[in-house]
Amino acid sequence: MDDYLVGVLSNIGVISFIALSAYLLLLIGAISFGQQAFFAIGAYAAGIATALWGWPLWLALGWGAAMGGVAAVLVGLPTLRLHGLYFAIATLAFAEMVRLLFEQFRYQVTIDGEPVGPNGTDGFRGIRYIFENDVGPLQFLALIYGLLAVVLAGLMLLERSRLGAAFRMIGEDPTLAALNGIAVARAQLLAAALAGALAGLGGGLYAHLTTYLEPRIFDVMLGVHGLAYGLIGGLGTALGPLIGVLIDIGMLESIRVFAGYRMIIFGGLVAVLLIVRPRGLLDERLVHRIGRACSGLFGRPRPDKNGAERKPA
Amino acid sequence: MTAIRLACALAAAIGLPAAAYAQTRAKADVTCRPSGTTLQYDCSIMLTNARTSEPLGGVTLTVGADMPSMPMMHNVRPVAATPGAQAGTYQARLTLEMHGDWALQLNLSGPLRDRVVTTLRFDPDKVAPAAKAPPRHKH
Amino acid sequence: MVDFVQNTLDGVMTGSSYGLLALGFTLIFGVMRRLNLSYGPSIMIGAYLGTLVYVQLSAGPLVVIAVTLLGAVLAGLYVERLCFAPMAAGAGVASMVSSFAIWMQLEQAAVLALPRHTYPFPPLATGAPLNLGPFLLRVDHLIMLTGALALSACVHLLIYRSHFGLGLRAIINNPVAAHLVGINVRAAIVRAFALASAVGGVAGYLVLAVDQQVTPMFGMWATIKGLIAMMIGGLGSIPGAILGGLLLGVIEAHSQWYFGPHIRDLFAYLALFACLALRPGGLLGEALHEPFERGA
Repeated sequence: MDDYLVGVLSNIGVISFIALSAYLLLLIGAISFGQQAFFAIGAYAAGIATALWGWPLWLALGWGAAMGGVAAVLVGLPTLRLHGLYFAIATLAFAEMVRLLFEQFRYQVTIDGEPVGPNGTDGFRGIRYIFENDVGPLQFLALIYGLLAVVLAGLMLLERSRLGAAFRMIGEDPTLAALNGIAVARAQLLAAALAGALAGLGGGLYAHLTTYLEPRIFDVMLGVHGLAYGLIGGLGTALGPLIGVLIDIGMLESIRVFAGYRMIIFGGLVAVLLIVRPRGLLDERLVHRIGRACSGLFGRPRPDKNGAERKPA
Repeated sequence: MTAIRLACALAAAIGLPAAAYAQTRAKADVTCRPSGTTLQYDCSIMLTNARTSEPLGGVTLTVGADMPSMPMMHNVRPVAATPGAQAGTYQARLTLEMHGDWALQLNLSGPLRDRVVTTLRFDPDKVAPAAKAPPRHKH
Repeated sequence: MVDFVQNTLDGVMTGSSYGLLALGFTLIFGVMRRLNLSYGPSIMIGAYLGTLVYVQLSAGPLVVIAVTLLGAVLAGLYVERLCFAPMAAGAGVASMVSSFAIWMQLEQAAVLALPRHTYPFPPLATGAPLNLGPFLLRVDHLIMLTGALALSACVHLLIYRSHFGLGLRAIINNPVAAHLVGINVRAAIVRAFALASAVGGVAGYLVLAVDQQVTPMFGMWATIKGLIAMMIGGLGSIPGAILGGLLLGVIEAHSQWYFGPHIRDLFAYLALFACLALRPGGLLGEALHEPFERGA
């Protein structure tokens, strides 16, 4: 596999983490323009852990994810009770504040006679873990996709669990969900924490993939793209955001004729999709229909003429 | 992905903390000029050892680029740099997708592995070091 | 003390342009109950057209302002057609996200058309600043302030004294009832959009003429400032928009004086966040209570 392909696939993998993070919040009905803040926090935290403190990678990634999750809960506490529109703007404000704070953040440690660490707008260079530990591009790619697979498996399990059903119920109508006995506030915070941790994990991977961070990377564009991937690919399943990422980076990138017009096409695509399919390509209805068709294929009981399903004994 | 590669990746992830700080680090000076074709730039790169300031010759250098304001979304194909006449100098012709600030990733393989990142602003008529922060409206 | 008053004066003058931006935002929100995040970029399209005629045709300031206005209105109508008109009633969040997507589109279109980082804009006034006792007042700032106040007064008259304004207020109050009474809600919304874009176009012209340049960052900047000012002052409230703008200007002027430009932006966002967390309705508006239906 040539380096270019490995690079593109690695980028697709890392961006998927933000897309899944925004997706998780979309499930509970919260639109977040701010997941890039947790991505940033995870990136800086993991980068500091390996480059300045000498931690092993797995610990640094976990630390990044944990920081992302904690930050998400802290932000979620005052904002999740807000109306959807206000919540979206609040996440935008918070993410920009985080970016501006990173522009002021300086924490340098002298290693081997050279200062290493985040230096405000100059950025954080030299996250050299993959060079110092001889991790090749293919190996890092395997790490990214290994973690992504674990996350996807977790999200698929979540779909089938009570918690997943609770999330979707809150997304449909929080009042009705509360009337059904779901602890809405707690579930929302849990979703926010998971989403923040996901974004933080992605950030840690990003920091080690590119070895270089600066605050400008984590601006609104990143968050909006993450959100858009879920809305394009579909909110019915965790694969939806991944499809969105593939459509953007995979398709639009590889078709060179689109080169200068990427945003124009992508923006137009999102706008049109929101008109014709507001829940994305793989929306809940389609996923449900596919599920029913599959269970028919595998010989499980299908609904009879009156629509009643007979469950297996 | 073979099982062995996956095992290696996991081992690296779980591996011991990096103690090998005393590795050769590279420093780079990059100047770029518009090449005449739109969005194509000719760059000359000077690589030196960060600590001893000796020029680093004989290194395999590829140059990639990413836009800080839209990370991971432009996948510019990395170009191999050709060594120049002087030891430690290299030339590369970059084709970018948009004007603006780009973080050039100078990937060293060959005898040593390293990556140096330099951010430059690419305008249609000139290339300059990138501004520290996006210009703000001042009143 | 002198510094404090000087900063407050400066803040009021820049705040007047924020107020105009907020005014446009709030008009669209009041009438449609939706947030148009492409507001700044559509003004930027107008500004780019304006700078084009300024640079290519050496047009005078009046022509530039007319072209800016026209461009902003055309871009605004494009956004309205694509993001707001086709959405079912109540799909407010979908339109907001859609407008965000169109923002990216408009920004790239502008950068493709005019790729340089900055383009000149004709100044409002040249010459030395005026001295009013110990205070310094820049002439172009004063022109911006008077322009903003004049425009707000015009909009106020339009909304409260004209037939069109009556229809708008009816729609803001209760769209269904307005429809039942025979008001053509669709047409009125399109006109409100055009009005909001025109107001934004003037606001954009004033700000850019003071800066004497336009950059691709302007779209996001205008949206954020207008949004913050509107949220502070109160969604859907016209006096709130002006008040929020003035307040934001003053907060920014003081924070810039004590802490510098980066912290100034931090304070602006902090003000927005605090406002949302503590009093979402803003100072003069009412908090949204009904569930914001998703675009499902």
